[in-house]
Amino acid sequence: MTAGIPVVDSDAKARPSRPYRLAGPSWVVPVLLFLGFFFVIPLGANILRSLQTGQAATNGPLFYYIKLLTDAYYGGIIAETLKVAVISTVLCLIVGYPVAYFMVRFAGRWNTVIVFLLIAPLLTSIIMRTFGWRVLLARRGALTTLLFDWGIIPRPINLADEPFAVYLGLVHVLAPFMILSITAVLQKVDVRLEESARVLGASAFGTFFRITLPLSLDGIATGCILVFVVTCGSFLTMLLLGGGKVTTLSLLIYQQFNVAQDVGFAAAMGNLLLIIGLICLALQAKFLRRSGGKS
Amino acid sequence: MTALATALPLRRRRRVRYGVIALALYVLLFLGFIAAPIVSVVAVSFSTASFIAFPIPGFSLRWYWRILEYRPFIDALIVSGQVAVLSTMFGTILGVPAALALARSRTTAAAIVSNLLLAPVTVPAIVLGLALLYFLSSLALGISFAALLIAHTVAGIPYIVRTVLSVYRSIPPDLEEAAAILGASRWQTLVHTTLPLVRPGVFAGGLFAILTSLDNLPLSFFFGSASTNTLPVVMLSYMENQFDPSIAAISTVQMLIAIVVLLIADRVYGIEKLTS
Repeated sequence: MTAGIPVVDSDAKARPSRPYRLAGPSWVVPVLLFLGFFFVIPLGANILRSLQTGQAATNGPLFYYIKLLTDAYYGGIIAETLKVAVISTVLCLIVGYPVAYFMVRFAGRWNTVIVFLLIAPLLTSIIMRTFGWRVLLARRGALTTLLFDWGIIPRPINLADEPFAVYLGLVHVLAPFMILSITAVLQKVDVRLEESARVLGASAFGTFFRITLPLSLDGIATGCILVFVVTCGSFLTMLLLGGGKVTTLSLLIYQQFNVAQDVGFAAAMGNLLLIIGLICLALQAKFLRRSGGKS
Repeated sequence: MTALATALPLRRRRRVRYGVIALALYVLLFLGFIAAPIVSVVAVSFSTASFIAFPIPGFSLRWYWRILEYRPFIDALIVSGQVAVLSTMFGTILGVPAALALARSRTTAAAIVSNLLLAPVTVPAIVLGLALLYFLSSLALGISFAALLIAHTVAGIPYIVRTVLSVYRSIPPDLEEAAAILGASRWQTLVHTTLPLVRPGVFAGGLFAILTSLDNLPLSFFFGSASTNTLPVVMLSYMENQFDPSIAAISTVQMLIAIVVLLIADRVYGIEKLTS
């Protein structure tokens, strides 16, 4: 009798805490089958392909990966990929942070307008935006003419087909993502913390670097990883604005696919790109968990 | 003493305001930077010249006529629209039930499955496209409309699952419980209670999926053939050969289509509700 009571008790307690479930586990089955078949298996087959086809079959399974990492040419391309991603991430942060700060602290009712203007370019195709930069940076383009008139460049030259144009295009596409990641976190930072610092005698710069910036690190990390990963995976900007001077891993995959059909090698390059992305995601998860534990 | 105390904050406030004005000017400059390439493409699309020059020498609609005459643009536009709408429909049919089942489950398995459903968005489209092309080729589906549709459905599922998950998690189970207690069957509860409640999530996710699909060149170009080329693929190959304002015209048309989709979404549902 006394042994029976706790059992009944715990059952009665457990029942209201278990929420009503409309959907059973079986509702997941169709999408699992679909993604298992068209997402997991193809990516798995891609890994096998990079280890077994072509020269990997004769020269050992890791042949393509060793070639990618040790060959001077491909090593240079990996370095270029990381360089472009790091530079555009830093540029997005420097260009975007003031905008995010203005939106959260001063924009007031204009905030909605700015958010709209940041999101609006997503309605246009990436080709349109890249083409727009070509129009502005061509030899007789508006921006080139302006730079010539101001004496920044000695004569009107074609500024598209330069690394400069690639960075311009990447920052244009990705800065809004950085800004929206930062505003999401900055909104939660209490403005009174900044005011207290000022009242207690900190300078504007001191307040920014010792209060505002550290408190918004979460948003900065999210934005940076997002921009970094997307840059690593994009090739259109490099293809259309780089003029062959900026060759990254994803652009090489595109070119390899169009020109030489080395299946195994293309698969290995894709997997390398995937590994870079996974490392970034793991870093992000670690970072977010750490800061989540603190609060 | 009091004079000093009142004067000090005044001076400080004025200094701060200069900073704010400078910051506001910077933000304006940045927004100009964001708008510049888009505005210049729209301007160039009305040019009379057959080369790219700015400012444009005269106003004409000849490049809009040109895209009507150039069959691949129109064909590709139709393919793009079909792929975007159909893949989003399939993504919704597959993704919404799964999101409903996963949202209130706290098991490890549910967490793993949720991550799997969200994973395609983190895989670079060029890698996914390459892997899918070779896999589907081995099934004799290689370059076909079905292959294109499968690829875009895989890419669209995360958007729908993510928004439905977050909307459904914010809805307390009481309403569905009430429906069930009042005698509604599982199906009636789903149709009359749950689906209307998660509709903003389905709508927002579907909108993202459609807009992403329309512009997903890295995924589409692997499946390119005369009958399966999407608009961005045709535009890219056109641009690699010619550099005339018809690209500007078709870009402007594509942007207008996206705006119309958004306006319809606003009419039917209200953008405010989508973003909240």
